Amino acid sequence: MGLNLDLILDTLPRLMSGIGITLGLLVYSLLGGLVLGSLLCMALTSKKPWLRATARCYVTFFRGTPALVQLFVIYYGLAQFPILRESPLWIVMRDPFWCCVLAFALNSGAYVAEIMRGALSGVPKELGEAARALGMRPLAIFRTITAPLALRLFLPPYGNEAVSMLKTTALASTVTLMDLTGVARTVVAQTYAPYEIFISAAIVYLALAWIIGRLITRAERWASRWQEAGVQS
Amino acid sequence: MVSVVGWIDDYLWGTLVILGVYGVALVLCILWGLLGAAARLFGPRWLQPLVSLYVTVFRGTPELLILLIFYFGSAVTLTAIGQALDPDIRYLDIPPFWAGALAISFIAGAYLTEIFRAAFLGVDPGSIEAARALGLKPLPLFFLVRAPQMWRIALPGFGNQAISLIKDTALISVVGLEEIMFTAEMAISVTQEPFVMYMVVAFIYLALTTVITSVLRRLERRANRFQEVR
Repeated sequence: MGLNLDLILDTLPRLMSGIGITLGLLVYSLLGGLVLGSLLCMALTSKKPWLRATARCYVTFFRGTPALVQLFVIYYGLAQFPILRESPLWIVMRDPFWCCVLAFALNSGAYVAEIMRGALSGVPKELGEAARALGMRPLAIFRTITAPLALRLFLPPYGNEAVSMLKTTALASTVTLMDLTGVARTVVAQTYAPYEIFISAAIVYLALAWIIGRLITRAERWASRWQEAGVQS
Repeated sequence: MVSVVGWIDDYLWGTLVILGVYGVALVLCILWGLLGAAARLFGPRWLQPLVSLYVTVFRGTPELLILLIFYFGSAVTLTAIGQALDPDIRYLDIPPFWAGALAISFIAGAYLTEIFRAAFLGVDPGSIEAARALGLKPLPLFFLVRAPQMWRIALPGFGNQAISLIKDTALISVVGLEEIMFTAEMAISVTQEPFVMYMVVAFIYLALTTVITSVLRRLERRANRFQEVR
């Protein structure tokens, strides 16, 4: 049983039409996840116990349940509430694209919050204390000392999270979206050539994952531009 | 909310199906991980690019897509073979249970290949040399010295994979496995309460991940029992 190369070449342009939605989902979900993750990270490290407990529950729930289930709760579940259906928000929420973005961003936020917390706790406390002794204000300490150092610790695990989010966007095909996987599933239903089509789609995902990896490596190099040459941390 | 009560037994059966897939996939993924790590470390040179390809492909492709390739791919292959043997056969497939368990075990196996390899290399060579100097034969050396130390290093990474694996089982409903997502779908068609029914699924998964996490914590404590207290 050979692979039908002509079929791959024929369907490649159609597959490409799904990349736009995949990338759109990825970018909006990652941005939403970063904003939400920052807020959650603040809550996780807050001095108020109730705020810490709430954020901890949120993170546990979203990291402990499958993304597919989260997506279904939001896409199918929210329609159960008449209040939501009659609110102006519904114009956005009935669109599967924005439902996916909401679900994926809520999911990513939980992971990003934990990565940020880890990165911040990895910065030696003494640096902040020294800066305080020199009379720097808390905001200036964060902006010029803690944040740049934490960024270096943040980027490598965040790169994994970004690739993992790329893979999560494939779930959008289960709620009728025509992303890369959605288009591939439609083409397979028509041609019944699962190997050719799905493997072509997989190669596109691998290429996207590789590009994300390269971008993060660049960002890492930029974040450690003050490192002395030859010193590895 | 009361409507959930009537569906409890269906959810329970669905949970058992999930646990079945999970059990099969967990055993298989450890096997793939060990084989992959062994091939990486001791395999012939021609095998190295193949193992790298396996790890890269299964880590960089969406889990759902891998599952679809396994399920629909096996169906096409089996049907073709079947028709060659008996032209009357219309359609053959691997049941979603096995196709799903196999697909998710290969994904976790790719991550475990790297985790086990790193753990093997992370064992202090001094302790191996000491054991050899004491005259331990290769087999007891592996099981008494190397394996317990490897296990300790591999456990945190293995734990993450064990948790991702249980979450991956939810995907198999997409190819028609009758587990708790399916139960929820049936319940929704009767009760019209999608939010409640899918939240039940979410809390079942939350319970499962909580149990797995606590088991892993126990295992870690046990694996570290000979470590000095710092």
